[in-house]
Amino acid sequence: MTRPENNQTEFQDPLENYDSPTYDDSIEQALVEEPVTSIQSRPYASVSPDIRVADAIKRLVEDEIACLLVEDEGRLVGVFSDRDILDKVALEFDDMKDRPVKDVMSPDPVYVFDTDSSAAALTVMAVSGYRHVPVVDLDQKLIGIISPQRVTRFLREHAG
Amino acid sequence: MGLKENLERDTVEKLELRAAITLTAEQSIRDAIEAMRRGGLGCAIIVDDQRHPTGIFTEAMLRNAIFHSPECVDDQLSEHTAETFPWVVTSDPVETVLDAMEIKNHRFVVVVDESGAVVGLTGQKGLMEYVADHFSEEVMVQRVGAEAYPNHREGA
Repeated sequence: MTRPENNQTEFQDPLENYDSPTYDDSIEQALVEEPVTSIQSRPYASVSPDIRVADAIKRLVEDEIACLLVEDEGRLVGVFSDRDILDKVALEFDDMKDRPVKDVMSPDPVYVFDTDSSAAALTVMAVSGYRHVPVVDLDQKLIGIISPQRVTRFLREHAG
Repeated sequence: MGLKENLERDTVEKLELRAAITLTAEQSIRDAIEAMRRGGLGCAIIVDDQRHPTGIFTEAMLRNAIFHSPECVDDQLSEHTAETFPWVVTSDPVETVLDAMEIKNHRFVVVVDESGAVVGLTGQKGLMEYVADHFSEEVMVQRVGAEAYPNHREGA
């Protein structure tokens, strides 16, 4: 029997030639290395799934915002936005005004985790096509929302 | 070249313009809602007979109009449109759109040609696509909507 050490080849670290990334642009570096929490995500407005549609619209008007997060016991279950009003409520207001917002919200929204890179928020906007990106933690608890205006401010700050 | 330089150098033509929904001031809010639903777009542009923009009607205006008077859907658009709105010429720098978004918080920007006629629409979504395209290696590879981390450990 040979001793194990006689049969071993020298350990080679597979990452020994790893070069840390270099960036041509400060925005590029921020998109990769800074988490989405670097982008302003608060304040945000949320409502319960059982609030009346008319009351949800009132909240949007009074707060002068375009999107409400719908949360149930702290967990994100949907979003209710101007697009939902356009598509499902505007011409059907009398039938819809007293229904719970969960009937007309957009369920299962695309979101990002607070640990994701800030580039992920841009992905949701540019690839998935949603303007408002909810941010949740790893327990799916709601943390905030990122809007295009907030992303723009982030880009400006890193543009130098 | 960095994003900042490109924003100053590239013109609005470089953005992915959306086909604008155009209506006349005499048409109703109902007409606008139906057209916006068909087009999947959040605004309609009011134009004159030479396609020059004279106003804009957006989802946000619809929300406010519905809240104050649900019967407004049969009103003429002229009663509810904004007559001042952001617009750019196709030869303007992309940075103009960025300013409209960030400083004035406009969601839509009307794009006109040198004669002033509407050629399309851009805004928040168009700008996000432009930025994403600029950083495609960083942005286009992101996981979206999946689990935050693997449920099963790697390997056998």
